[in-house]
Amino acid sequence: MNIDDWKTQIKRGTLEFCILLMIKQKPSYGYEIINTLEEYPILAAKENTIYPLLRRLLKEEYISSSWQDSAEGLPPRKYYSMTDKGLDYLVAMSVEWDNLLCAIDKIKGE
Amino acid sequence: MEKVLNNYLEVIERYLKPLPVSERVDIVKEIKSEMLELQQNGKTAEEIMERLGNPKEMAKAYLGDLIVKGSSFSWNRILAICAYYSLAGLSGMIVIPVLAVCAPVFIFCGVAAPVMGAVKLIDALLHLGIPYAQYIVVSGIKNPMLIFLFCLITGAALAAVGYGCWKLLVHYIKGMSKVKHNLSL
Repeated sequence: MNIDDWKTQIKRGTLEFCILLMIKQKPSYGYEIINTLEEYPILAAKENTIYPLLRRLLKEEYISSSWQDSAEGLPPRKYYSMTDKGLDYLVAMSVEWDNLLCAIDKIKGE
Repeated sequence: MEKVLNNYLEVIERYLKPLPVSERVDIVKEIKSEMLELQQNGKTAEEIMERLGNPKEMAKAYLGDLIVKGSSFSWNRILAICAYYSLAGLSGMIVIPVLAVCAPVFIFCGVAAPVMGAVKLIDALLHLGIPYAQYIVVSGIKNPMLIFLFCLITGAALAAVGYGCWKLLVHYIKGMSKVKHNLSL
């Protein structure tokens, strides 16, 4: 049984969705996103996954970014926030996600 | 910040060479921001390095997207690349050397001509008999004042051509690198 491989694949397919959901809740910075994901073992991902993913979302204009100075003693943070294009994308993803869950439920016959 | 952490950032920056400078700087800044954040939370340099993982892997993850995007097959892209490289090749052989030689030579002549004219004028006015000054001649003009004037105008024109060559060269090279950037070769 190789459940880890399967988990990796699930994670790969859903991280983008989860990150966009988080950024929609409130503008966040990379470290914060990584920390939140760490609370859920199925979603936990390292810096070398999240930062390039954020950059790709940025390039595709689903999110925008701005550097903001934080409280004294803390480094400036790069905050990501949703764009209109990102919101549309997120709506489309949510529809497909519900379709998937619905289909799985039906197949399970519950 | 500790030296090991700075080294880490330097290694990442080095591996990110294929990316434009602005992007590279931004990536490094973001990782540095997290390092400082982790330090604030009491993590040691070793723990931070452990968490961030191998810098080479980190850089590769950033570049991965670029390569995947760039490797998509398209005739347009291939034509664009061919066009770019044939242009770049031609420019490498002809345009750049010609402009690079012309610019300084014309500017030098532009400065030299008025100087020669001035030498001739001073020589004639003060009867100094500067050696070789008699060889400074403009055919058809005898008056040293007019010769000086002629040299001044010619000098300005030559300098303008030289300056133009230089501008063209800079413009040309900038244009080439911009095209290169757009093709993300």
